Amino acid sequence: MRPWDGDSGVCIVNPENRIFSWKSIPRSSRIILITTMIIVVLITPNLAEGYYESSWEQIEKNTENNYNSAIIDENGDAWVFGDNGEIVFGEKMEQWVNFESPTNENLVTAHANNERIVAAGNNGIVIYKEYNSEEWIEIRMETQIDINSVSINSNNEIFVVSNNGEIWCFKEDNWVEIESLVSEKLNDIVFEGERGLISGSSGLILGSENNGENWEIRETPDEVTDSEIISIDFYGINRGYAITSNGEILKSTQEELTTTVGYNWYLKEIESENQSTSLDVNLTSLEVLSTTKILLSGDNGYIALSKDGGNIVTPQLLPIEGDFSINDIAMKNAFVGIIVGDNGTILYTENGGEDSAVGFEIIDLSDFSEFVDFTKDNLLEGLKATVKIVIFGILLGFFIGIALAMCKTAPTTLKQMIEGDLERTLTLFWVIIPSTIFCIRIYGLGLGILSLSGLIILFSLLNYYINKNKIEKEGFLSISIPNGYRTNLIRILGLTLLIGMPLIGKWEIKGGIELIYTALSDFYSFHLGSNTFKLSAQIAYIFAPIGDPSAFMRLILGVGVTYLGLLFLTTNGTFSKKYIPYGKLVFISLLWVIILAEIFINPNSSGDKITSWFDLGWRLFLVLIGLLVTKRILPKEIKSVLKNSNDYTLTFEPWKIRPLQVIATLYTDFFRNTPLLVQFMFIHFGLQLGKHIQNIGLDLTSDLITISSLLGPLDSLLHPIIDYISESLFGPGKRSYLSAIFALGLNSAAYQCETIRGAIAAIPSGQMEAGRSIGLTYMGTMRLIILPQAIRICIPPLGNEMVNLVLNSSLASVIAYTELTRQGKLVVAITFQIFWTWGMVMIAYFVVTWSLALLLRRLEEKTRIPGLGISGGD
Amino acid sequence: MEEIVLEIENLEKIYPGGVHAVRGISFNVKKGESVAIIGSSGSGKSTVLRCINRLIEPTKGTIKLNDQIVNNPLADVNEIRSKIGMVFQSFELFSHLTVLDNITLGLRHVRGLKREEAEENALKVLERVDMLDRIEAFPGNLSGGQKQRVAIARALAMHPEAILFDEPTSALDPELIGSVLQTIRSLANEGMTMVIVTHEINFARDVADRIIYMDKGIIAEQGPSKILESPKSERLKQFLSSMDEEI
Repeated sequence: MRPWDGDSGVCIVNPENRIFSWKSIPRSSRIILITTMIIVVLITPNLAEGYYESSWEQIEKNTENNYNSAIIDENGDAWVFGDNGEIVFGEKMEQWVNFESPTNENLVTAHANNERIVAAGNNGIVIYKEYNSEEWIEIRMETQIDINSVSINSNNEIFVVSNNGEIWCFKEDNWVEIESLVSEKLNDIVFEGERGLISGSSGLILGSENNGENWEIRETPDEVTDSEIISIDFYGINRGYAITSNGEILKSTQEELTTTVGYNWYLKEIESENQSTSLDVNLTSLEVLSTTKILLSGDNGYIALSKDGGNIVTPQLLPIEGDFSINDIAMKNAFVGIIVGDNGTILYTENGGEDSAVGFEIIDLSDFSEFVDFTKDNLLEGLKATVKIVIFGILLGFFIGIALAMCKTAPTTLKQMIEGDLERTLTLFWVIIPSTIFCIRIYGLGLGILSLSGLIILFSLLNYYINKNKIEKEGFLSISIPNGYRTNLIRILGLTLLIGMPLIGKWEIKGGIELIYTALSDFYSFHLGSNTFKLSAQIAYIFAPIGDPSAFMRLILGVGVTYLGLLFLTTNGTFSKKYIPYGKLVFISLLWVIILAEIFINPNSSGDKITSWFDLGWRLFLVLIGLLVTKRILPKEIKSVLKNSNDYTLTFEPWKIRPLQVIATLYTDFFRNTPLLVQFMFIHFGLQLGKHIQNIGLDLTSDLITISSLLGPLDSLLHPIIDYISESLFGPGKRSYLSAIFALGLNSAAYQCETIRGAIAAIPSGQMEAGRSIGLTYMGTMRLIILPQAIRICIPPLGNEMVNLVLNSSLASVIAYTELTRQGKLVVAITFQIFWTWGMVMIAYFVVTWSLALLLRRLEEKTRIPGLGISGGD
Repeated sequence: MEEIVLEIENLEKIYPGGVHAVRGISFNVKKGESVAIIGSSGSGKSTVLRCINRLIEPTKGTIKLNDQIVNNPLADVNEIRSKIGMVFQSFELFSHLTVLDNITLGLRHVRGLKREEAEENALKVLERVDMLDRIEAFPGNLSGGQKQRVAIARALAMHPEAILFDEPTSALDPELIGSVLQTIRSLANEGMTMVIVTHEINFARDVADRIIYMDKGIIAEQGPSKILESPKSERLKQFLSSMDEEI
């Protein structure tokens, strides 16, 4: 029984009697516990590794000879050709028999077309067979060259290519050499209708549009000039692929409807290899199954499939091990086919070689319990993935949000920076910023930023030690600029901001004016307005920032720096208000517009252009006369504007601008005025933020591993941990994860900033005064007094924002991050159970969000300050 | 020779809006002395007080604490403030902290004491203001008089050279004023240097060694507390009679 307080009717629970009390854990342990829990959630791998087995099935070996080539004819029968003239026939790819061969030469290439099968090999051997005949006919070439590839064109002519750029054609029972213009080794020839392609060494691709009568050199990317293009293949009329011995994939598409494929070749950046262009495999063969589905083979039993035109290349498992090369792929369609390789290896597949999950069985998805059983793993994985980005997103958003809110409420004005802290400001602009820029230029961004922090720490330490034992602090670094020099130093600072540091080469720092000028001229070089002066055309310039982001940054920076420069340069030491007589300004600028228009545009005399000095003078004269006349008949109102310009004056306090607030406002304005969905796509696909963070993370990991290897025995303990954390945060496939975290966090920060700022503004200013009066610094008061109260106030709206963040995380599905919504889509795609799937997804979201809401409600109750505010309790 | 703790010379303050709140004021506060500043609202009393610990930046003049110039822009303002305690009209206790934590905050984060030491010190000053029984309470649950006594304890705990009181009783109900005045009076008896801005004429007469009467930004009359009995200037006479009417 709990003790009962009869008077108040409240059940009293003695905290000592509770089995577990959070507060009984020491504070430091609590922090470690929470951090560990977060890290555990973050680094647990996403998908439990499934067990897969190869769907390639080995055909019984009859020989140890290497098989070099395979084809499947229109009947679905397979023909395999190998060393020593070996020919194997696979009837419907079921019955495999050795076929009597007319030759002993090594057969290396084969092709089937128009009911004819042709094979070719070393020493000029070429054999062919009609479908309805049982006999191979030998048409050996007299020159006895080693043939690398053979193909039959639509006119039933047999083409072979060889080393030294030789192309031969067998037509009308004769071998004819075709002019090739090149002397490189030619590796592969292929025809599609009348069009033909040949690939060769030194990145060579030849093309023909007339059944191989004439060949011309096609342009290939510069990167492949050292590579040997091993194989080339068409798919229909709109796709071409080629592979090189360095593991690169080349792709050709139809640029416009009028041109044909095979002219424009570009190197594929392979996403599954971290955007590298190479698979790091010596590729041997290529088979194009559809516009985007390609099979690749290579040395050491490498066989890989890409279903998206080479973005993601998935190596496949093979049922046999060993150091053998796969030499050719032959597919009947996109699913059924064979691969052949060294030592008489033939492998057969019925599903494009895709690895199949072990234990896969067809289940009855109309039964709810079986459906849940089938999908729960997917949905739980999705839920875990969602929770991961949400936790990180909330943390990131909260901390950036607080920082931004503090920037927005920071009281440091330009006046304070210049008047009260001139020494520090001068050091910032004349020493720290220039040296950082130099460091970045010389050592790169990372070290540059490091050196900035280093310099700031160095100066702070110096400052601390110099002032340490003095009762009266004598300014920054013990330097105190005498009053007589201060104003002039401010003016010089303004001048340096305007013109920069005009040194040479690496040492040049642009000033505000030059920044604006170069940025604007970069923008105008786009010619966005199509050279017309219509407003509707000029509106295209709103897109200029994205055309040259660096110019846009320069423009913003330039405007800021120029503003500061002009302000500092024109100071008279009083930091006073400025009065802008806008009435006068408007009138004078209107007047000038009229005068200039009158002189240059008015077509009164001889057309538009000024023809002579006399003409100019005459026009000026007319304008002056006009002005004199106008002045007499000016309306009374305008005259009074000119006389009493003080009535039409704007007051402007340029020294009251708070630089930190300006920066924070730019940030929040950007993130709050663009949709989150677009931000997701821009951050992931546009900025490729995930990729950059991944690269930084991997660099950091390799540094850490270097450091850990110096630690001797500790290394064996640390190394796997570093590897594991690095793999789970920055490993392959983690890009969308990183992008999602940052998109969510950065967006949420903008909203949280405003919420927190509102709460800070709600704290009475007396609290700041009280904190300062006991000697706390501004930041100290913020941290110890203002923020603890402000955060308590804004828990309800922050909770709103966090719940929103969880729900917004579903947008991460558009950048292919496999969170809950995306898993839902996948499940729907497999099972077609729309009601159940989305219902289950919804419940999963509700569980997460609701428990978060409950947690926040509890937090709100726990942190409520007794006796403060109207909160419904007592 | 008596030691001078606070020295104010030709203090002037013009607010950004152009209000000339203080127009050249000079006075000294000796060690152990308590000075009361009286005057009608808008006479610049609070401005003077806030200029002393630079919660408001003076426009002109110098303020010295133990011969150290306070309003030198290069002076360490935080250290100076930690030597000058301040008690506000509206208490300004940190409402998210208990009474004890309110007092230990400055000791721990400004003086750098350990929690145990700070609490020990805090208990001592809480005893002086007779608040030992409510150390775990939150400010929201205290009465106004209790709050102000905690605020005084918070200022005392820092062992300041002087304490500034900004109308310490104006926000209190008449029956609660007594305990606060009692506390301040005992501080005066213990020899604490104090500057008190107040409306309580009787209290000023009772506690203050010296009275400064301010009017329209200048010192209209100053002297020992007996000037309240026989005011010389017309303005002080008027002020005193208006205060009598109120009572």
